[in-house]
Amino acid sequence: MAYHQTFGPAVDRITSLGWGLAIVSMLVVAIISLLLLVGIFRKRGHSQGLAVRSDAGGVSWIYVGTGISTVVLVGCMLWTMVVTAAVSRPPKTPALTIEVTASQFWWSVRYESATTARSFITANEIHIPVGEPVRVELKSADVIHSFWIPQLAGKMDVIPGQTNMSWLEADKAGHYRGQCAAFCGAQHAHMALLVVADSASAFAAWQESQLSEMSLGNGEGQKVFQTHCAVCHTIRGVSPEGIRGPDLSHLKTRGTLAAGLLMNTPANLAAWIANPQSFKPGTRMPAQILSGAELTAVTSYLNTLD
Amino acid sequence: MKISLQTRFAVGITLGLLFTDACSRSEGGSATTPPARGFPAVNAIAAAPLGQVAGASGNVAALSIANPFEGNPQAIEQGKQLYIKMNCAGCHAYNGKGNMGPDLTDTYWRYGGLPVEIYKSIEEGRPQGMPSWGAALPPEDIWKLVAYIESFGGSVSAKDYEHARQGDQPGEQIAPEVLEQRP
Amino acid sequence: MNGPCRATTRAQMKSRLAVEVDQIEPLSRNAGDEFWALSKLQFGRSPVLLTWLMVGICSCGKSQKPVVMELTAHAATTGGANLTGATFNFAPGDPAGEWHSQARDYANTRYSTLDQIDTGNVSKLRVAWTFSDGMEAGHEAAPLVVNNTMYVVTPFPDVLYALDLTKTGEPIKWTFKPNPSPMAKGKACCDSVNRGVAYVEGKLIYNLLDDHTVAVDAKTGNEIWRTKMGNVETGETMTMAPFVVGNKVYVGNSGGEMGAWGWIAALDVASGKELWRAYSTGSDQQVRIGSDFKPFYEQFKGKDLGVSTWPAGMWRHGAGTVWTWVSYDPQLNLIYYGTSNPSPRVPDQRPGDNLWTSTIFARDATTGMARWAYQTTPHDRWDYDGVNENILLDLPIDGTMRKALVHFDRNAYAYTIDRTSGEVLRAAPFAYQNWSSGFDMKSGRPIVNPDKEPHPDVKLLNVCPPDLGGKDWEPAAASPRTGLVYASIFNLCMDLTDNKVGYIPSTPYDGMNIRRFPAPGGNLGEFMAWNPATGKKVWSVKETYMTMSGVLATAGDVVFYGTADGWFRGVDARSGKVLWSQKLGSGIIGQPTTFLGPDHRQYIAISSGIGGAATIRADIDAVKPAGFPAGGNTLYVFSIGGDSMTADSNQSTR
Repeated sequence: MAYHQTFGPAVDRITSLGWGLAIVSMLVVAIISLLLLVGIFRKRGHSQGLAVRSDAGGVSWIYVGTGISTVVLVGCMLWTMVVTAAVSRPPKTPALTIEVTASQFWWSVRYESATTARSFITANEIHIPVGEPVRVELKSADVIHSFWIPQLAGKMDVIPGQTNMSWLEADKAGHYRGQCAAFCGAQHAHMALLVVADSASAFAAWQESQLSEMSLGNGEGQKVFQTHCAVCHTIRGVSPEGIRGPDLSHLKTRGTLAAGLLMNTPANLAAWIANPQSFKPGTRMPAQILSGAELTAVTSYLNTLD
Repeated sequence: MKISLQTRFAVGITLGLLFTDACSRSEGGSATTPPARGFPAVNAIAAAPLGQVAGASGNVAALSIANPFEGNPQAIEQGKQLYIKMNCAGCHAYNGKGNMGPDLTDTYWRYGGLPVEIYKSIEEGRPQGMPSWGAALPPEDIWKLVAYIESFGGSVSAKDYEHARQGDQPGEQIAPEVLEQRP
Repeated sequence: MNGPCRATTRAQMKSRLAVEVDQIEPLSRNAGDEFWALSKLQFGRSPVLLTWLMVGICSCGKSQKPVVMELTAHAATTGGANLTGATFNFAPGDPAGEWHSQARDYANTRYSTLDQIDTGNVSKLRVAWTFSDGMEAGHEAAPLVVNNTMYVVTPFPDVLYALDLTKTGEPIKWTFKPNPSPMAKGKACCDSVNRGVAYVEGKLIYNLLDDHTVAVDAKTGNEIWRTKMGNVETGETMTMAPFVVGNKVYVGNSGGEMGAWGWIAALDVASGKELWRAYSTGSDQQVRIGSDFKPFYEQFKGKDLGVSTWPAGMWRHGAGTVWTWVSYDPQLNLIYYGTSNPSPRVPDQRPGDNLWTSTIFARDATTGMARWAYQTTPHDRWDYDGVNENILLDLPIDGTMRKALVHFDRNAYAYTIDRTSGEVLRAAPFAYQNWSSGFDMKSGRPIVNPDKEPHPDVKLLNVCPPDLGGKDWEPAAASPRTGLVYASIFNLCMDLTDNKVGYIPSTPYDGMNIRRFPAPGGNLGEFMAWNPATGKKVWSVKETYMTMSGVLATAGDVVFYGTADGWFRGVDARSGKVLWSQKLGSGIIGQPTTFLGPDHRQYIAISSGIGGAATIRADIDAVKPAGFPAGGNTLYVFSIGGDSMTADSNQSTR
């Protein structure tokens, strides 16, 4: 039941609303059931013959029932509208905007900045500062997806051709799992997302490390990367703007691989690169034809990207 | 007519499976099913010569290798996505009519217009500017690109490989406003 | 070098006044006397006095120093006066009958003082002789003439021919085959062209498509030096004509569509050694911006703007290549040039102003340190570049004479900019445009029309001008006699869809899916005369096809240009009346030049051979006329009546 626990103002009130409406519904069901049972098992009076007479007490039941129902329903409706309005936008202007582009079957995340040179791209993992609202602009690179961080933000569809807006705010530091919530293809179920809420200083440190560029080198692993991987993947400072696949800059700092499917360990990384289709059949990354030495070289190179 | 519960159950499940199956084939989101007989072997493709075979004349069977994705609409669509993402459109233009690189929609092919010849041109690269993609793209992706290029209509069908090499094919009249061919 | 000078002077006189000159006393050897005699002959009929200011010896100059000739308060003999008050600095003062560099002079005026061919007799121009180099690609270079030898460079593989004009049939004296890398051919975005050669001190210097600059001995055709300037494998090429000032030659790269890193470099003329290189993006050190840098507008002041106006790291493949023309002011010792579009061509992938792309730079010619910069199209969203030539004129603006430059940008604005400070004095559209709703003189920024901003996967209709611009690299010419500037321009629009791109080395880093078509009016091209002082079009000639040729202005008050379908025209420089036309074998995207042959006759030379960006018209669906030419080169040389030494003395050798 972990998803009922929420950690941010974007969803806290929705949880309360959810529980509230559930309780109201349960009460309604209970009351109606009770009345029904009473109606079924009530002792009937002897028949007074076929004379028809007005039943003095019946109509008032209807007035009472309708009245209570109306009040309760209108109350729920108003409560819902108030809560929906309240969570539709952040309480104060967000200091941070990120642009999330959903593809099959991964998430590209671009951090905007007022200073152009401080905007950068990462993938599948979002870091946000604790206690600050973050504006999320949602775009799709191919089909309809849906952005859902159950503990931080409700579902917002990601539709090709338009930009939708959502927002996040975390009250507590920690890791929050997200998930694509609109069926988008064979690996929809494995299109997860990790949101990490950091303290302000940890977030600033993470931002700085993400902005830094790897230095160019001549290692074997890097050569293999340039030949086989760079057409799809970017590593800031080394090979810019391969856009077909996730940005791999600072890969070592990420908790998971393959959009939340695998833990980010060297063994998993090597196995994934060798044959992604065995883990995630239908994913867009093709199986690589690498020799054992090439695979070792590129995996160890990628393990240095922190 | 009274239908037993088991029958209803069985029919329901079957219909459900069929329905799901049809969905997965028709939606554009899933990957293309690999062809039943797999992809042509690497050494079979390597046997297709670029020029004539010294000392031998006549047909070379390797040239008749067909594109496993021929006519597959999903493969063509994914080939189109690759064509854009791998910057093929930058040299050969978004409509295939060429600019920096040659026109892929016409019937002139400097290195051959058979599916296996187009495959090899992409995989190996060619002098005067065509990069070699064999290390970066797996065979499946290259065959999808070939399928997309074939959909332009200018290439030669694999079964016509003898005619293609001999030039036994009709020429084409170029309307005045169409760009003159640049070999 | 007094000999040729005198011969030239006499030849000029002889040809103009065939009868009278025989009766004139032999000229003294005194240069001053010669000059005044010439002036009397040329202008004697005019009652108007003129003032010439000459520094140094008569135009041939014993020394190699450039001669500054300033023309003040000049009124021409025929036609009317200088209409605008514009004056020009004609350094370096090549012999009038020769053509040593693509732009002819430092100011890039492409103006020749030869006037045997004038408005009266230009209709009698006929083909005198032709030369074919056998290459099919677009021919963009101007033929040079030095010491009665014509030098012609071909597109890739960049062969250089020397034609001996003193012999019957203008035979090939020598051929230089540089053997550039075949890889280069597939990296040139807009045909494998070469924009020309420069002559200096007995050397011919030009760039090869595969990123080498080479110097060839003008007498023998042997290679003197070759310098590698870049790596063609990454998609970087070189197409521009080198520009020589003194002992330095300036060269720049191409590859704005390939994600190259743009630069300009200075090489030593004698050895080919690279002296300095200034990049167009990156830190101030890489861009050679120092304490002398004094841009006029606020948005160009700051540290490392070549990095901070880009998302992290994207400046490295930000382009800003330098692929066209350089001009030079000897008094300020500044060179002027423009940089290309930013890369990739999809603007949403690179938010920020993207300095220093689409920018005009003024740099110290000796050290390369930047003096000022002005970005014509900030955050260039349409591939407008900023590379078009900067013609250096002194103009009366609002009552004061200003040292200015005139620049017809691809973004369809004609700029008149103060060349000492980078202040924009005038900015007015010279072609149809709808990407901007105006120009803010105070901030120096254009006001962008938000409807014409492209976004990925969104089809944007009717954006004018298209990426090719209102005018592309084809250089304009200026005439001191009329004070007007003459340019071949376009009348085009585009539908545009952007697609996000990744950088894959050796492939285009582009993303623009374009369909081009004519703007209102229906004509694709136009040849116009422009008043640089007021910023207004004076007259124009509309053309069905694109006009993508360079322009030649002459003292005979005839200006020459060519069209993409092969018409080469001579036009009255004052009225715009087409006086002469000749259909050539292929379309014309080259630059015409004029020279005196050994027979002291004036010739006009132009290469035909369509290619370049002018063939990007397969997209122009709306235009259906038959008649667009096939490719193939012929160099044409015209003279009055088609007369030439060859014609006069042609005999069968069999």
